[in-house]
Amino acid sequence: MTTRSKTPNTKATTTKPARRASTAASKANILKTNVSNTKVSKSNASKTPRKNTANVIGIESRSKPKLASVVIIGAGFAGIGMAIRLQQSGIKDFIILERGSEVGGTWRDNQYPGAACDIPSNLYSYSFAQNPNWSKSFSGSREILDYIKNLVKEHNLESYIRFNCNVVDTEFHEEGGIWNVTCENGNHYCGRAMVMAQGPLSNASLPNIEGVEDFEGHKIHSARWDHNYDFKGKKVAVIGTGASAVQIIPELIKEAEHVKVFQRTAAWVMPRPDFNVPNWNKALFSKIPATQRAVRNALYLGHEAMALAVIWNSPLTRVAEKIGAAHLKNQVKDKWLRRQLTPNYKIGCKRVLVSNDYYPALQQENCKLITWPINKISASGIKTVEGIEHQVDCIVFATGFDVCKSGTPFPVRGLEGVELSERWARGAKAYKSISVTGYPNLFMIFGPNSGPGHNSALVYMESQLDYAVKGISKILSENLKLMDVRSDKQRRFNADIQRRLAKTNWNSGCKSWYLTEDGFNATMYPGFASQFKAQMEKFKSTDYRIVKA
Amino acid sequence: MASIDLDKMLEKVKKTQWSLDEIDWDAPGAELITEEQWPKLKDFMADLMWIEHVGARAFAAMAKKAPTDTLRELYSYFHAEEQRHANAEMALMRRWGMLDGDEIPEPNINLRLVIEWLDRYSDEMPYYVLGTVVPMLEVALDGALCKFLLDTVDDPVCHQAFEKINGDEARHLGVGFTVMEMQGRGKSTIKAMQMVAPLLDPRLILGIASYFPLLNKMRDNIVAMGLPEERLYDAMRKFEKIGGRTEDGRRNPWFQIIKHHGRMVINRSNSFYHVPVDALVRLTGRIPRRALPAVPSWVYELTDKPTSDVV
Repeated sequence: MTTRSKTPNTKATTTKPARRASTAASKANILKTNVSNTKVSKSNASKTPRKNTANVIGIESRSKPKLASVVIIGAGFAGIGMAIRLQQSGIKDFIILERGSEVGGTWRDNQYPGAACDIPSNLYSYSFAQNPNWSKSFSGSREILDYIKNLVKEHNLESYIRFNCNVVDTEFHEEGGIWNVTCENGNHYCGRAMVMAQGPLSNASLPNIEGVEDFEGHKIHSARWDHNYDFKGKKVAVIGTGASAVQIIPELIKEAEHVKVFQRTAAWVMPRPDFNVPNWNKALFSKIPATQRAVRNALYLGHEAMALAVIWNSPLTRVAEKIGAAHLKNQVKDKWLRRQLTPNYKIGCKRVLVSNDYYPALQQENCKLITWPINKISASGIKTVEGIEHQVDCIVFATGFDVCKSGTPFPVRGLEGVELSERWARGAKAYKSISVTGYPNLFMIFGPNSGPGHNSALVYMESQLDYAVKGISKILSENLKLMDVRSDKQRRFNADIQRRLAKTNWNSGCKSWYLTEDGFNATMYPGFASQFKAQMEKFKSTDYRIVKA
Repeated sequence: MASIDLDKMLEKVKKTQWSLDEIDWDAPGAELITEEQWPKLKDFMADLMWIEHVGARAFAAMAKKAPTDTLRELYSYFHAEEQRHANAEMALMRRWGMLDGDEIPEPNINLRLVIEWLDRYSDEMPYYVLGTVVPMLEVALDGALCKFLLDTVDDPVCHQAFEKINGDEARHLGVGFTVMEMQGRGKSTIKAMQMVAPLLDPRLILGIASYFPLLNKMRDNIVAMGLPEERLYDAMRKFEKIGGRTEDGRRNPWFQIIKHHGRMVINRSNSFYHVPVDALVRLTGRIPRRALPAVPSWVYELTDKPTSDVV
């Protein structure tokens, strides 16, 4: 049972404005030794010089920008998939901007020990680029990264990618019907259409704990792993018990002298049907691709059925909870530890985790689960409310990602220069997750309300890619200046989404990264993946305001 | 005590955290404990520490059942704070040379029974039952015992620790009485009867059977320490006074039940109550410890060390 994929199921490419100014500075300090792509504040971004002197589209450029058909932001799963689908539809005049020095996004960034996908590999891959050689039923991050790299190689995408291009500003010029994109290195790019494929889980998030900057030991974020740090003989604290933590902890206890795991909320953990794929299976998939498609379809339908347990409160929810409770009881004998690990909310309300070795790891002699609230971080460890300073050599922050639920990772200026983050100040809203009124010719992959709770993110992503291809094809083939979704259509769409979300487990009362502080759910799609696909299959140009060039 | 803003209280609780390493446990003053005081004080501190620990477990149960996020978080903090108090009291015992090695003092048999009950049943108990019993225990036992300790012990480190502990306890009581009032707000007769219905629950009856003798046992301990039992009764009257200050508070049926029980405890001439309960104290005193199951693992989370670099 899973939600989305594994922790890092989307790509990373861009920067995110530091919206919480008070904590951003200290957090930046913590990450600075590990993070190759630090955040750029919105204020800094807005200071980027923008003069109307250099060229037809009115942007000064270090190198005069050439007008591309499409500018794709991000070379992770979404960006690479977008490029392939554009190529396959005959659109080859695109450019991919990537903040890192290699492709892979979140799978490139999340290389912590034990990093793996929560969705079976056959389903966590593109249907149009199946890989018969997955070594395990649930692949590790390196194998998934290799898969993405292979996609780049097989489709000759390398030349389309501009590496080390950290997007700091984007603006739509209504007169020309062109998106202008500025990178941190000063380069500018422009395109008839723009695809935001930077992914929602691209920026590491640190907890808002007092004293984070005071700790004098080593600090590592799960999404920016320090492979040079030797854990042997070290006392380590892990803050967080989410999807990354349950994969890291079983690996850490093999190396470190002691591991203290600081838990805030217990999660539902389900057993993981993990196995090595035998060679005959790989050969079969390779020689008869239909067999792999059949397995993929079976996995897809199996996950679809899980929606009934995870998304909505149904008798199957109780069944899923019983499976989770039985897994816990089977693996944890101590009554108090079991109580500490028992979630206090409906399954599905927060992300469901999958692991066979997390509970056993917690019970190893060199591991201890700590559920006391954290008071502060000190120079030598973590002070908890029971009055003790837990002294450690290293703190691992498995605290997830800074998800843009009401902002954008970089300024996005649409018609009349209105910033999308301002428009979204009270919660992100889009039409079919992909278009936003006032932001013409823009397509978002994993925009608002496109998150899966039960199925592969790649299934959702594929249908978004194909929708974007339809929209972009229309813009190019009909030489449109503007294709802007109608506000009434967007309003009606969101009213329906929020009405449906109100009946889901995500909105049933627990706090999660799916929700804003106000409890607004701009993250998840309240339905089956099949429903999402069906919604994305229909591209109705009448839903858009169209202006010809 | 007027009702408090629980959100503001949560912020205050978070801001007023302290840890054991803020106290110099080796500072001068330990020698002020007299030889005469020492043996009695050892038992007294052990009981006090276990009462804090029992309170911690009760708050843990409430953290699971509280009706709002704010209360759930508050009780999570209170759970940890009570543990901190127990840890600090253990640190005092260590300072006064009352612990050998890694020894954890043993709870008396009545506390042991309460621990057993809490471990088995507290998570199943209705929130409003725990929400009333816990303030009573805090006022009556914690309050009286702490006061006595500060009156009789001159060690400045003890005073320093209890200044912090009492600050926490004041916040616990503030929340406790506010919740009691919230639970009494606008209650109809039918709802009041529903609140009382758990009295028929055998698990609760078992809880009462361990709670009644605990109070009488502690009364005996206090008397044995030379403290006028009137101190305990004063503390129990405080519960009645504060809890019954508002109409909402008085309307809470569990306040009424606990209040009347408190009056019976205070009235030593009430032989109808005290004869069987004192008999129960004597009877439970004969229960061999080996007859009880192993202590739950949360008991071993106690530590007198301000820092820990081991699992």
